[in-house]
Amino acid sequence: MAGDPLISTDAILRWSYDVGIFGFMNSRWGWPTVESVHFIGLALLVGCVGAFDLRMMGVARGLSMKALHRLVPFGVLGFAMNAGSGFLFFTAAPAQYLYNPAFQLKALSMLIAGLNMMLFYATTAKAVVAMTPEDDAPLAAKIIAGVSLASWIGVITFGRLLTFFRPPYHWCFWC
Amino acid sequence: MIAIFAWIEQTPLSIFMREDLWAFPVTLILHSVGMGMLAGGGMVIGLRVLGVAKGARLELFAKFIPVMQAGFWLAFVTGLLLLSAYPAKALTNWVFALKFVMLGAAGLLVRAMAKRVLPAGAASPDWARWVAGASLVAWAGAITAGRFLAYTNHMLLVT
Repeated sequence: MAGDPLISTDAILRWSYDVGIFGFMNSRWGWPTVESVHFIGLALLVGCVGAFDLRMMGVARGLSMKALHRLVPFGVLGFAMNAGSGFLFFTAAPAQYLYNPAFQLKALSMLIAGLNMMLFYATTAKAVVAMTPEDDAPLAAKIIAGVSLASWIGVITFGRLLTFFRPPYHWCFWC
Repeated sequence: MIAIFAWIEQTPLSIFMREDLWAFPVTLILHSVGMGMLAGGGMVIGLRVLGVAKGARLELFAKFIPVMQAGFWLAFVTGLLLLSAYPAKALTNWVFALKFVMLGAAGLLVRAMAKRVLPAGAASPDWARWVAGASLVAWAGAITAGRFLAYTNHMLLVT
């Protein structure tokens, strides 16, 4: 896109074409297949991380937090599926995402979710994992859980809004 | 059949869903969130029955079922609204029917687990893992069919 001092969408597209991603994503069933992977990943992510967050907020007391934490790697698997499929979407049509305000807000929500998660592991995680199954989590943990749920629902929301803010919307605050 | 589609498409609700700027996007977002709650919860229960997070008491996973039910109703009501916007598009598409076959299978499998597997706790029947695995496949299938139906429709509107 002309006028972007940081990123060359042409270069991204050329690479995508050369490695075959562009061709696959524009084939008859390429895009819907990758979208299906993306949605399955989101269900896995929101389900596993959501269950952990809900328990942390007090739902289903009696469940061991330490044991529930074993679900989180499956949530990470879901995230990895989405990062991979997201990479394919992005490289096949970079301008549709880069300058899309919905995508920028989606990325911001993911950043908040990520920072929130790092905060959890840096602060209250040890206390939470040491909880007995009947315990109630500390307030700090509940707030972190709430932020986590809100930010992932935000990611879904902005993700769904993507198609409504495609070009000719062009929001380039770094241009 | 076409007459019924035409009639639905002319209702104020249908027109509103198609022509209002925010009606369709907001409904879609809520449909996706409901799907996340329903399928996500279903996957969590399926994973637990398969043996993930073994230290967490099996029977307590039933407490996530209300979350799934809330997700179901959210997805159902928003689904009806989406259907009212483009009835012909959905109901002439066999993939739409496939989605409900998958959802029905997933629902029956979760129900079987809720009734017979979760209450049994450590004394889970042997077939439990097969049912859990099948439910994960059914959720993935329902999600995939849901995605593909946006690409496999023969028509948009009859009017």
